[in-house]
Amino acid sequence: MTGGPLASLGELERRVMECLWAAPDGLSAAQVRDQLPDRELALTTVHTLLTRLSQKGFVEYDDGRPRRFWATASQADHVAGVMHDVLGQADDRDAVLARFVGSVSPAEATLLRRLLGRRRASGPSSQIDESASGLVSGSDGADPGERPERG
Amino acid sequence: MTATAAALLVLAALLAWPAPAAFARATWTRRDPVVALLCWQALGLAGGLSLIGAPLVYGLGPWGSSLPAAASAFVAGSAPSRVTVAHWAALGLAALIAGRLVTVLVESGVRVARMQARHRELLRVVTRERTVGGLSRQINIVDVADMVAFCLPGGPPMIVLSAGVVAELDDAELAAVVAHERAHLAERHHLFLLAFVAWQRALPMVPATRRALTTVHDLIEMRADDRAATIAGRVVLAQAIVRIGTAVAVPSGALAIHGGVTATRVARLVDPPRPLPRAAKAAALASALALLLVPTLLLLTGLFSAAGP
Repeated sequence: MTGGPLASLGELERRVMECLWAAPDGLSAAQVRDQLPDRELALTTVHTLLTRLSQKGFVEYDDGRPRRFWATASQADHVAGVMHDVLGQADDRDAVLARFVGSVSPAEATLLRRLLGRRRASGPSSQIDESASGLVSGSDGADPGERPERG
Repeated sequence: MTATAAALLVLAALLAWPAPAAFARATWTRRDPVVALLCWQALGLAGGLSLIGAPLVYGLGPWGSSLPAAASAFVAGSAPSRVTVAHWAALGLAALIAGRLVTVLVESGVRVARMQARHRELLRVVTRERTVGGLSRQINIVDVADMVAFCLPGGPPMIVLSAGVVAELDDAELAAVVAHERAHLAERHHLFLLAFVAWQRALPMVPATRRALTTVHDLIEMRADDRAATIAGRVVLAQAIVRIGTAVAVPSGALAIHGGVTATRVARLVDPPRPLPRAAKAAALASALALLLVPTLLLLTGLFSAAGP
């Protein structure tokens, strides 16, 4: 399935993180290597991956011999952080990432379902009901920003 | 030279508020988002040009009647007698405005690129790459039940779907979502937004800046819809939008910013508006070009002083 010699750097980093997330007390580099799906990785490679991850702030380590590495935050925390940024309303969010569609109000949700429903009911080849299209697209009419309240 | 400066000042004032406000209200734009986006870029560029040009032309007035003539005289060190404090103040103002605009643009670009890099790092460790919807491209799946789909431009591009989206949408709808995001990435839509993000941050108190940003954002979504629709089909794409958009309904107050665009997008997919006639398209593009040429020619030739008394 996954694995294989062509695993990308990002994929390897993710696998290392999954080992660490599963071990709250931390792991040594050798233990991480032994838990990785492809045990062919050299210990130095695992060390490099752990160092990169610590530079990015995902991993911390102590001064023990051998060093013990652990994840700075749980996987759930990281996911929550990403989702917060994706769903948030930051000024430049739209420049940072392009979201497929934002959330809509209950009124707009009703309007959207009606628009789709009319299309389905009238069938793909028949004429679109004037009143359905008039609700939103209309001819060249009012401000699109004011539409949902009317729906 | 003063007449030229005054003309540029009037143009700058028009482009700062009434012109974008009126253009944001236009509805022909949804019939051809590409032409509309080009007009918006011209609007922004012409605005910046005239805003810097007005004080610059006034300040350089004693040296020459056009920008090239005045600049070469200024550099040559010829010192005309009629230079007053007002001229120096105007030159300072021009430098200040130009510096401010460039700084804000660079700062915005750097901050956005930094956030993208941070997101990319985070997403790389919390998502799994796999194929969905029978497509060959690898998609990053984040393991949450929320219905979320987005792409991260800049650097190695990344398309991210939540596990909720993968579970709820059928293959055709997933292909439509991916096609929409691929259109954003292929056409580098985030670059169209950057100048308007910077403008909005520079002048948050001017309502036109937020309207411009929102409008450009909406046009970009429509453009991506158009490209995705040719691959995945209009109705399938509309279904995908409705499924994801209505999965989490939010109270009306929270969506003042991005409210109506979703309904507009679905409506124009389900019932496509007539394409813009070729003549109207040409007229819009010619206006955009003229908008850029007017301040440029005013700066380069000082038309008014040549024709005036």
